Amino acid sequence: MNQSNQTQHRWGMAIDSDRCTGCQACVAACHAENNLPLSDAESAARGRAVHWIRVDRYYEGEFPDIRVKYMPVLCQHCDEAPCEPVCPVYATYKNPEGLNVQVYNRCVGTRYCANNCPYSVRFFNWFDPVWPSPLDLQHNPDVSIRMAGVMEKCTFCIQRINRAEREAKEEKRPLADGEVQPACVQSCPAEAMVFGDLNDPESKVSRLAESGRSTRLLEELGTQPKVFYLQRAT
Amino acid sequence: MDRRDFFKIVSTASAGVATSACGKKSDALIPLLVPDHEIVPGEEQWHPSVCSECGGGCGVIARVMEGQRTIERSGEKFRERIACVKKIEGNPLDPVSGGRLCARGHAALQSLYNPDRVREPMRRTAPRGKAGFTPEPWDSAVAAVAEKLARARSSDPAKILFLTRPQASTRTLTIQRFLESLGAPPALSCSVAGLAVERKAADLVFGWRGLPRYDLGQARYALGVGADFLGGWASPVYYARQFGQFRQGRPGIRGKLIQAESRMSLTAGSADEWLPLRPGSEPHLLIAIARLLLDEKLARNAQQLPAGVAESILAANLADLIRISGIEERRLRRVARELGESESPIVIAGASIVHTNSLQSLVAAHYLNLLLGNVGRSGGVLAPQQAAAIDPVNANVLEALKRAQILLLDSENPVYSLPSASGVMEVLGGLEMIVSFGVFVDDSVAYADTILPDHHTLEFGTAVVPPVAPGIAINVATPLVQPLYNTRPIGQTLGDIARKMNVPFEPIGARDLIEPQLAPGETWDDVARQGGLWRDGEATEPASKPLGEKLEWSDPVFAGAPEQFPLQFQPYPSLQFGDGRGANLPWMQELPDPASSSMWGLPVEIDPQTAARLNVNTGDWVRVESAQGSLEALAYVHPAALPGVASMGIGEGHAHYGRFASGRGANPLSILAPVWENSTNTLAFGATRVRITRLGRRPGELIQFSPRDREQGPWGYR
Repeated sequence: MNQSNQTQHRWGMAIDSDRCTGCQACVAACHAENNLPLSDAESAARGRAVHWIRVDRYYEGEFPDIRVKYMPVLCQHCDEAPCEPVCPVYATYKNPEGLNVQVYNRCVGTRYCANNCPYSVRFFNWFDPVWPSPLDLQHNPDVSIRMAGVMEKCTFCIQRINRAEREAKEEKRPLADGEVQPACVQSCPAEAMVFGDLNDPESKVSRLAESGRSTRLLEELGTQPKVFYLQRAT
Repeated sequence: MDRRDFFKIVSTASAGVATSACGKKSDALIPLLVPDHEIVPGEEQWHPSVCSECGGGCGVIARVMEGQRTIERSGEKFRERIACVKKIEGNPLDPVSGGRLCARGHAALQSLYNPDRVREPMRRTAPRGKAGFTPEPWDSAVAAVAEKLARARSSDPAKILFLTRPQASTRTLTIQRFLESLGAPPALSCSVAGLAVERKAADLVFGWRGLPRYDLGQARYALGVGADFLGGWASPVYYARQFGQFRQGRPGIRGKLIQAESRMSLTAGSADEWLPLRPGSEPHLLIAIARLLLDEKLARNAQQLPAGVAESILAANLADLIRISGIEERRLRRVARELGESESPIVIAGASIVHTNSLQSLVAAHYLNLLLGNVGRSGGVLAPQQAAAIDPVNANVLEALKRAQILLLDSENPVYSLPSASGVMEVLGGLEMIVSFGVFVDDSVAYADTILPDHHTLEFGTAVVPPVAPGIAINVATPLVQPLYNTRPIGQTLGDIARKMNVPFEPIGARDLIEPQLAPGETWDDVARQGGLWRDGEATEPASKPLGEKLEWSDPVFAGAPEQFPLQFQPYPSLQFGDGRGANLPWMQELPDPASSSMWGLPVEIDPQTAARLNVNTGDWVRVESAQGSLEALAYVHPAALPGVASMGIGEGHAHYGRFASGRGANPLSILAPVWENSTNTLAFGATRVRITRLGRRPGELIQFSPRDREQGPWGYR
């Protein structure tokens, strides 16, 4: 892990509920980018389908004055992450850039972390994943496949962050705001999701996080999430 | 990848720098097909292509990297290194996608690498409809087809019918030319997402050929009526981008969206206010609003309205219209006033669910926009640009099928898309010959005598004309990777057939379409490298004054006696599967449904009152019965469903469509009455009444990702 002084990033995300249409492009993009295990009807019925990002929908009010609220929920990369202190083998910890990372080959599968996560965004691999050939030709070589017994979750597309940082370093320049985009942010048609450096007060995500509409999910638990939700304007 | 990066890549590639993949991303774009031996492990290359999952025609870029596949030769297994597509993103240069992509676009990868693709030409060995096939060499398969086609052509070429997917492209032009050389009638489409009514209305009122473009991003107040434009209607990525701009893309300005629809669609869910409209009452609502605008002197452009139309609106009985629409009068008056007073109002009408009177609703919406003075203006309704190719129409398909002797199928699925009661299966069973060019065996291909499989879109070159685009747009795909199987592009196959028949025919390639449009100094290579040809369009007002002498409206017709079949039934194109063709993609099967959160199946949505009366809970099995047939499905008690209206997403219920879709769930279209939209004769799939009975708990459950327990009870879905 790069712990040099040059690395001052603290990655975070803002999601504008006023723009979000609930179209789930983010969900499909995440599957394509991160080699998520494929479910089938049987495993899904047992609650084993994996979506690192999901779009929760909440119905508010009664017919005919009823509205729906769509809310993309992914790992909140909490500063005080409840999943971290319960891991007996340090498989989940905070990296220097503020990401809550999961080290797959340390994980022994206690599932304590999933049990302690208030956002339900951690997923356990009960079996080795299977892709009927040739679906496996699509696998992203930048992301490892997780086998049975390992916990997995959103990484903020750390492979994209690393790639962008490496390229910037090779070109001896700082990373520009918006240069790193996780797959979900990249695909969002309504541009509801913004990713960037919370340490940079001028970054778009920092400015959105300061907006009057900004809230965080289950903030009262003291988890200090790094995903900011901008409430609908009406 | 953002626009700046992609520009960088395109410009380096154009300068001829890119010869092999080495080092930086900006050197890594190779313009055309990547030979497998040139792939460097770990190095990515980005190529432009076009998405063909729906009719929207988004320009995309594909990430190509090395992969390995196992092949068998003379009993031995080998590992072969090939170039593979790893991910698809929107092409940042394309004005339609703008670098963004929807869920179905991402899943196009799973149709390329689908384990159930047809891998070689096949001949039927089982009875029609049973999908039994055996491999057949290309030569003899083509010869057999050519011989029968030649015979049909000499007796009556009008008996040759071609069904193709609703996307305007070099493919449709090639098919058109082939049919012309045979003297056969033009190709048709039978998809429920064909937008035939929208096209007809634009032609009738403004004389426009193609779909109008709604400039939502510049509007201040939008009223959507019957068009689920964020959920899949017309061009979902384009309109979602516009919506983002409309809501939060302009400093100090936030657009307000009111959506009138007969179900809580994705668009209705994202709107500021949803007006729960009775099914088929879209014309009534629109004419009521036009009347209110005229009454309250808020119709700023009333003088442009044809006199007869204005008279029809003023003659309408407002109380009746409001009563039929089912919307509270107070609410409707407020919406009409807000619309009339807005600086930049727009009405976006469509027929996401087609009714017998859908044309009237679209025509009324065009006149309403005219009253609001936004036609041809920024933030209003804009004319389609002159298109280089036109989509096949969805009109009179059943009649055409009944007349036909020979059916040529290109990824269209009439057995799935038309109700069983229309007799479509019997018609297909009785045809002299059915040939499929599609890459999958679906419900209709199961009836085919011969399959002459096409390459996948990502494996060959094409040019697609997006139906909704600012200015002139032609998105171009060059072949990205070597074809995986023993398949041939449809143009080549049609050429081979024509040669055997001694008919002069040349397929139309992307280059043929692009070259006449090139500006001086521009080359085909430039266009192929950047993935399309785009020109700014000018906002144009309708050339002549709007057509039409009067405005008509009628109540929608519903098949089935209300006493026996008390519920209105509306199948709707689903977010995941569209018109049903996305059902064989596992990512789409496991994508939670936006309404019910169901995966690997789609439930029938029932309102809480009806559910209580029927003693039905979410997760119960129910029988949905029309006068024409019945299906069994799981129920979802939808808190926002209209009382007395049952809805069901289209997509599941395929008899044949590969391992992920076959035999899963039920097809709501199958039980419909064969009722047709009055002007186009496209299927009115919202025009059937049903009754629902409870079957109770049975094996097979509603699989939800965010089930009720997440929101209401003890959590822990895992």
